[in-house]
Amino acid sequence: MRDRSHILACCALVAGFAAPVVCTAQAAQRLPGELAWTVGYDPKTFDPAKVDDEESELVRYLTAGVLLRFNRSTQQIDPSLAESWTLSPDGKALTLKLRSGLRFSDGSPLTAKDAAWSIRRVLDANTKAPVAEEFLDASAVTVQTPDEKTIVVHLAKRVVGIEKVFDEIAIEPANRPSEARVTAGPFFLGDYRRLQYIRLKRNPYYQGSKDGLPHASGIRLDVLENQEQMIRLFLRSEYDFIDNLPPDYFELLKHKAPNTVRDIGPSLNTEQMWFNQAPASPLPDWEKSWFRSQAFRVAVSQAIHREDLARIAYLGHATPAFSFVSPANKTWFDHNLSVPHMDPSEIKAILARAGFHLEAGTLKDAQGHPVRFSILTNTGNAARAKMATLIQQDLAALGMQVTVVTLDFPALIERLMHSQDYEACLLGLENVDPDPNAMMNVWLSSSPNHQWSPSEKTPATPWEAEIDRAMDLQATSNKLAERVQAVDRVQQIVVDQQPFIYLVYPNALVAVSPQLLGVQPVVQEPRTFWNVENLSVQGAR
Amino acid sequence: MNVRRIAFALLLAVVTAAAAIVMRPGASYARQDRDALFASSSSDHLAGTDAMGRDRLVRVSAALLLCLAGAAAAAALSTLAAAGIGAFGAMGPKSFGWLTLLACDAFLALPWMFLLMMVRSAIPLTTSPTASAAITFLVLAALGWPACARAVYRGTKELQKSEWMLYATANGLRRTQMLRILVPNLLPLLLPQFLISVPAFIVAEANLGALGLGIGEPLPSWGGMLLELNNSATLLQTNWIYLPVALLTVVLLLLEAITVEGS
Amino acid sequence: MRRFLSICQWILRAVCVIALVMIGTTLLVRFAPGYLSDAREMDARYAGEAKVELSTLAMQSRSPSQMVRAEIQTWFHGDGGISRQYGVPVLELIGPRLAVSGSLLLRALGWSWLFAIAGALLSSSRRRPSFLWQVPFTLLLVIPTAALATVCLIAGIGGPVLVMVLCLAARDFKFLHSTLRSAWLDGHVLHARSQGLTGGRILIGHILPNLVPRLGALASLSIVTALSALVPVEVIFNVPGLGQLAWNAAVNRDLPVLLAATMIMAVAVTFAGMTRLQTTNWNNA
Repeated sequence: MRDRSHILACCALVAGFAAPVVCTAQAAQRLPGELAWTVGYDPKTFDPAKVDDEESELVRYLTAGVLLRFNRSTQQIDPSLAESWTLSPDGKALTLKLRSGLRFSDGSPLTAKDAAWSIRRVLDANTKAPVAEEFLDASAVTVQTPDEKTIVVHLAKRVVGIEKVFDEIAIEPANRPSEARVTAGPFFLGDYRRLQYIRLKRNPYYQGSKDGLPHASGIRLDVLENQEQMIRLFLRSEYDFIDNLPPDYFELLKHKAPNTVRDIGPSLNTEQMWFNQAPASPLPDWEKSWFRSQAFRVAVSQAIHREDLARIAYLGHATPAFSFVSPANKTWFDHNLSVPHMDPSEIKAILARAGFHLEAGTLKDAQGHPVRFSILTNTGNAARAKMATLIQQDLAALGMQVTVVTLDFPALIERLMHSQDYEACLLGLENVDPDPNAMMNVWLSSSPNHQWSPSEKTPATPWEAEIDRAMDLQATSNKLAERVQAVDRVQQIVVDQQPFIYLVYPNALVAVSPQLLGVQPVVQEPRTFWNVENLSVQGAR
Repeated sequence: MNVRRIAFALLLAVVTAAAAIVMRPGASYARQDRDALFASSSSDHLAGTDAMGRDRLVRVSAALLLCLAGAAAAAALSTLAAAGIGAFGAMGPKSFGWLTLLACDAFLALPWMFLLMMVRSAIPLTTSPTASAAITFLVLAALGWPACARAVYRGTKELQKSEWMLYATANGLRRTQMLRILVPNLLPLLLPQFLISVPAFIVAEANLGALGLGIGEPLPSWGGMLLELNNSATLLQTNWIYLPVALLTVVLLLLEAITVEGS
Repeated sequence: MRRFLSICQWILRAVCVIALVMIGTTLLVRFAPGYLSDAREMDARYAGEAKVELSTLAMQSRSPSQMVRAEIQTWFHGDGGISRQYGVPVLELIGPRLAVSGSLLLRALGWSWLFAIAGALLSSSRRRPSFLWQVPFTLLLVIPTAALATVCLIAGIGGPVLVMVLCLAARDFKFLHSTLRSAWLDGHVLHARSQGLTGGRILIGHILPNLVPRLGALASLSIVTALSALVPVEVIFNVPGLGQLAWNAAVNRDLPVLLAATMIMAVAVTFAGMTRLQTTNWNNA
């Protein structure tokens, strides 16, 4: 037996050490001079006119030649394929002049005819291009080409920030849409393996090959969602940067590779909580009355320790928030916003005046119903889950019993957008455009994205009517000062009424390889590769 | 003293110690000491604190009592169900056995996470964390039987061919009487299944948190503590993060010594 | 003839299971929350297009029986339907991934059984239970598969096969140890030991022949455990296999892909039930 057990033990050991190590992700070999980073999922389309998800938009950003480019650093419009542009005084005619010597990635010349065709294709109802909605009345827009280098776009209605819309319209060869395989941008689509990677190749004719741009020979985008794998491969220099780092991984990288991480400061994004005020919601009437009470919402807002949320949930990488405009938004942030700061006795006094009272440590309304509600948030976001737990404790001090429920995103969306079966929700908003006009869908009471009470036929309250008026004003005015004043008014109403209880502005956290040259991270996305044509890997140029 | 008695005494000591820690005056699994995040051990917090400044020892102790009771009960229920269904399927007519296997196979292949989502939408959002935990373990018990039931079915079929079973049949023993003789022979299959189910259900409860079920905050979830090991950023913070793993290993070894090992 | 009949029975059972699974999956996915919602509804830039797609989907899924019939028809067409997430035929997605997952599963099962049998043989033959063997296997049971995968990933040790081997071996060991232990304590074996038979002769002559028929039952348990461990392992190691695809499909409510994945699972589970080792059955004394 001893012999046999010895043999068996040896077999087990051999089996253990010989257990084959299988390759992990089947990532393609990195080519010399190629940039590499990850995307969370496969783009749904490579047709730049039909982009309706984030990763498709990313590919469009990297491949599309656009007439005008919104500079993420200066937050101003820069000329791109167009060397100049003018907007008529009534805002209804935009004239663009193309640069000379432009070519597509296949060497064919780019003229005004191609630009006009591309714009018309976007405006065509059959294309169903999401960006067409930005023109307000796409069917009434006309495009003319008086000569080979001039495009004139006639709008039916004035559109605030119309120049920015052209940042999303890719110029393609007329009558030859190619799904990013023939482009006027810095790169074009070379290879795509579903659930593995997207490979972009350098466009040798980009902007007339000015200054040898783009510097990189190509880009490899690996489809990878797992954070651990991403961090590990970044540390092995397989990836050049990570564009959106969660705070805990930021600290991990700060510990392992301190020269790679950067906290750029407050982003344009917000994290907020709101109560369900929709009349159609299946909540009991007494619960609806709590959530519609300004005193209740203000008390909840004041009871939340935002500094703790920033320090604990975001490990110090967030800033307490009271408004939907981040301090990173230099043009629109209101420095004179009047924000109340109440101590616990004042908070209790507000609640008492609204008919709430404490009974054996539990807060009850005037009818004796204990104040008990749930906060919904999505799974997979550790910071949000922590914030919900911290808020639960903060509100327990007022005698409120809060349950935290995390749901997967589709189930959460169903409750928010369809059944309205929820009490409070904690989510974030990504602001891709610093101009508040992009948030019309949130603030207009008739909008389905007016989260606390969607699709109102008429504004339910005087303050919502005032928000509607102010937002309409800023959308139609051509004077910046007037627009700023209107948005300031909306910000103040939001602080006073708390339809959204803003919690924090998460900081923009990125990790950048020391080998990457030309990188200048900014708060607006894409944070690290907004100037992709200037990026290169050290030693590759 | 035999192994079983020692193991039982040790397990009792662990449970009693956990209860004493939780019921100590001033102990709270929910209180957040927000100035002492991931603190190392001190006189106030013997095993340090977690990411929200909550006493780790109190939370682990509370989780042990709650999750062990829930998971053990769920594991026992599902193992019993598996034993019953598998044995009856094997002892009954051929068609009954065929249907049993069919049900087991279908049950195993169906994506039950969608049923769990439906359960979540059926119960009120303000369901208390304790009630939510009870519902979660009940659901796990209801879903955890098929794999073992198949094994029991097959095991019973093999045992039916053994000489002593043939001898019992020849002597006119009824099926219900034979079941009583059969069950002890199935224990080598059932007891490991029970022991494997306990940690599996503890982790499954934490995974169900993604669907809105599971043990809600501020109640401590043992599975949630185990899942902290998923995050390399948390692994760096403190060594006390391994306490739940170590404790569960000890508890399972003790359980195994009590249930599986003879004197 | 008997063998032919048993094969027919197996095929019939597999077809019934697949049919039940198709109906069950369609109903579960259709009526679970989130089927008729889309994250793009929250983004004003994409909400319009999302709403149009959702209303088309709602029209198509008004009647569950209509949905089931439509899904069955797609399989008769040969493409398995069009993936809601990727917009391509399901078979195009499944094909390459089947090979990857199949290879991973077979290797993991093989190595884990080797490990578990070796460990169980050594640990069960001792007079007293050996904690030296129990502790590591119990530890492996306690650590969640995802955590084990993460630790291996961070440490740069092993890969998906190693993680699955460790998870499966822990479970298989428990069953094998228990079965072997009770076999060593059988009356006739104790008698044989007392008569001076060596451990090896007892093992080969009495223990293993009685163990082998029971391995079929344990094998089916093992395969089922392996299939459920596949998802976290493939997701964490980013292996382009069926587990990763099934997980993405579940999160995105991609019914055609989910149906394909559950049908494959049904076939695998039914096949696992078929495993039966033909050996001489030794009678107990």
